[in-house]
Amino acid sequence: MSLFGTTSGFGTSGTSMFGSTTTDNHNPMKDIEVTSSPDDSIGCLSFSPPTLPGNFLIAGSWANDVRCWEVQDSGQTIPKAQQMHTGPVLDVCWSDDGSKVFTASCDKTAKMWDLNSNQAIQIAQHDAPVKTIHWIKAPNYSCVMTGSWDKTLKFWDTRSSNPMMVLQLPERCYCADVIYPMAVVATAERGLIVYQLESQPSEFRRIESPLKHQHRCVAIFKDKQNKPTGFALGSIEGRVAIHYINPPNPAKDNFTFKCHRSNGTNTSAPQDIYAVNGIAFHPVHGTLATVGSDGRFSFWDKDARTKLKTSEQLDQPIAACCFNHNGNIFAYASSYDWSKLAASPCSSELTAARSLGWT
Amino acid sequence: MTICQFFLQGRCRFGNRCWNEHPGSGGAVGGRQPQPSGSNRRGWNTTSQRYSNVIQPSSFSKSTPWGGSRDQEKPSFGSFDSGASTSRNRGFALSQNPFASPSSDEDKDEKKLLEGIVKDMEVWESSGQWMFSVYSPVKKKSNISGFTDISPEELRLEYHNFLTSNNLQSYLSEVKDGVNQAAPTFGFGSRQTVTFGSPGFPVNNSSSGSAQNFSFKPSSGFAAATSGSASVSQNTPAFGAAPSASSAITTSTPAFGFRKPEITSAASFSFKSPAASGFGLPRFSGFPASMAAGPVGVPVAPAFGSSSSVAGFGGAGSRSHTAFSKSSGDAFGISSMSASLPVSSGSTTTDNVLFTPKDQLTAEELEQFQSKKFTLGKIPLKPPPVELLNI
Repeated sequence: MSLFGTTSGFGTSGTSMFGSTTTDNHNPMKDIEVTSSPDDSIGCLSFSPPTLPGNFLIAGSWANDVRCWEVQDSGQTIPKAQQMHTGPVLDVCWSDDGSKVFTASCDKTAKMWDLNSNQAIQIAQHDAPVKTIHWIKAPNYSCVMTGSWDKTLKFWDTRSSNPMMVLQLPERCYCADVIYPMAVVATAERGLIVYQLESQPSEFRRIESPLKHQHRCVAIFKDKQNKPTGFALGSIEGRVAIHYINPPNPAKDNFTFKCHRSNGTNTSAPQDIYAVNGIAFHPVHGTLATVGSDGRFSFWDKDARTKLKTSEQLDQPIAACCFNHNGNIFAYASSYDWSKLAASPCSSELTAARSLGWT
Repeated sequence: MTICQFFLQGRCRFGNRCWNEHPGSGGAVGGRQPQPSGSNRRGWNTTSQRYSNVIQPSSFSKSTPWGGSRDQEKPSFGSFDSGASTSRNRGFALSQNPFASPSSDEDKDEKKLLEGIVKDMEVWESSGQWMFSVYSPVKKKSNISGFTDISPEELRLEYHNFLTSNNLQSYLSEVKDGVNQAAPTFGFGSRQTVTFGSPGFPVNNSSSGSAQNFSFKPSSGFAAATSGSASVSQNTPAFGAAPSASSAITTSTPAFGFRKPEITSAASFSFKSPAASGFGLPRFSGFPASMAAGPVGVPVAPAFGSSSSVAGFGGAGSRSHTAFSKSSGDAFGISSMSASLPVSSGSTTTDNVLFTPKDQLTAEELEQFQSKKFTLGKIPLKPPPVELLNI
C-alpha cells in the first residue's frame, strides 16, 4: 500500500505491530509505532531541528512527562530520555541548536531541558497553565516565548527569572507559532494577533478571525523565498483558514476549507464535525498536514487548493502532529483529545511515524 | 409597549404586523406564526436552549414583516430576556440596527444572516462538534454573546485537578447543600465525564446517557427540556471530578425542565406557548438552560478566575441565579435573569436528594430509568435510584 510512493517503504514495512486484524484500527496506516509511548494522551510533538544530526522526537503528555526518542532512518525508534513536570505538558519546542528542549506545562511553568546533561531547570513562570512555548532566534537576541491562559505572552531570557517582556493578550492563549520574524498567536474568543519579532517583539496586527468558532491550532507558512508570509488557522469546527498577511488580493487569496468532517463534501447529509487538532507545514514542499479529532490526518496543497491525501481513520483522535526538519518523517500522536468531554477508558497512546515516500 | 386599542376592540387591521402589543397573543407570537419553512421549526427544536435565543429572532423576522415588526420584536426580546440568555438576544437585536430602518434589501440580508445562523446552529448541534466555543455569524463581526470559549485542554485540566485532589465526596455533599463553591460545579462536571467511562465513579448512565442523546435530537418541548439538562450535564463534565455531584445535576435538571412549565405559566414569560413554539428549550433556557447555556461558557470561564460564578453553575437554579448575578464577565444579562426568574428560584429550591429510592418510583418511572433512552412524555421527574447507576 504505497500511499505516498515507495521510495523508502516505510509505509509498507512490517514494523506494524498489529498485523492485519481488520477490526483493529489502532494503526490502520501501518505506520511505525513509537516504542514506549507515554501513558496518557500526548499533547504535543516536536522534531529536532536540522542542526542536530539524526531525528529526535519529543512528545509531551498528560501524564506530566516529556519523552525523547531517536528516530532512525530505518524507522526504529529508541527511547532516549524523559523529564517530568508537575502538571500535564502542553507544548514542547527545541532550541535552534538542538541542545535544549523547552517544555510548557499546566503547572504554570516552563522548563528548559538540557539534553546533554539531562537536567531541566525552570525558566518561566505564569499565573495559569502555559499553553504554548516557542524559541525565537533573532539576529540580536534570542528568547523563549510562552503563551499562557493567564492572557499574557511572555518572553524569557533563559538565564533570568524575570521576563524580558510581557505582552497582554485579549484572551487566553490557545495556540501560537513562530517563524522569525513573524509570530502568530490565536486566543480564546476568536482573537488573532500577529507579532513582528525584529529588534524586539511587538504587536504587528490584530486580525479579524476568518473562522467562526474557537481557534484550535495555528501554523505559519513561508513563501517561495522562505519568508513567513501567512498562517493556517484551524478551529474546532473542522475548518482551516489560510490567511496571508499582506496578500495582493485578500478576498481571493485568503480562503477557508472544510476538513475532518465525516461526509466530505457531501453537504446534504448531516455531517459529524471534528476539531482540527494540529496543523503542520512540510518544510520543503509547503504542503500542509492537518490532524483531527476524527482520527485522520490529511495532506493538502494550499496553493492548488486541493486535498492530496487523507489517511484511514484511526480509532482515537489524533492530537498532535509534526514533520521532521527535512520533511521525510511525519509523526502523529493518536490519543484522546477530550473532544467527547469525558475520560477515555483506553488511555494508552501511541505515536506513529510515517515516512513520506513521495517527498 | 403600548396595548393596541383596536385589538382590544377586535378590529386591529394590522394583525400580527401591528406595532402595538396585542395582549394575549403577544407572547405567542413565535408560536403562532406559521413557520415559513419546516426546517426552521426543526431548527428551533433541535438546537439546544443555548442556541434557541439566537434562533428566535429569526422566527420573528420571518413571521412578521420587518417594517411592522419593530415594536413587536422588542417585547419578544424583552420577554426572552426574562428567561433566556438575555445578552445574546439583546446583542442580536442591537447588532441588527437595520431593523430600525427596514428596507427590503436589508431585510433580505438580515434574513439570510439569520437563516445562516440557524443553519449553523443546527449543524453545530447535530454534528457533535465541540460545544464550548464562541461563535460569530459573520466572520468580521464580534462573537455572539452568550457563548464561552473553553478549550478541551482547559476542561481536561479541570478533570485532572479533581482526580488528584481526590475529594469527590465533599463535592457531593456540597452539591447537596447547594453551596456556591467552585468545587461542586466541577463536581458536576466530573460526574458526567465519568459517565463516559472512567472507573471508580458512580456513573449515572441511564439518565446522563439519555440526557445526552437529547441535546442533539429534534424534539418537542420535553425533549428540549431534557436536552437542556443534557447540556448541563455535558457542560459540567467539562469540569472533571466529583461523580455524585454530577448525578445531582443530571437528575435535578430534568426536574428543572419539568417544573419549568409550571414556572413559565406562573410567570408571565414570553414562553407562553413553549410547546407550540418549540421553545421547550427556551423554557429551559430560562432555567437550567441559562445555567447550561450561558453557562457553558459563563461559569466555566469565570470558574477559572472566580469561584462565585462557577458555583452558580453547580447549584440549583435558584443558586445559579445568585451566582450568575455575581459572576463577572458574563455577557448574559444575568441580572435580568435573576430578576426575571424569581419564580423559578422559588420552585427550584429543589433537589436536595440526589437519588430516589427504588420503592418511591412508579413502575413507569422505573422503566424509564432502566431503558436506554427516555421516552418523550414519560420522563421521570424524580432523580434516578442509585441502584440503576452504573459506571
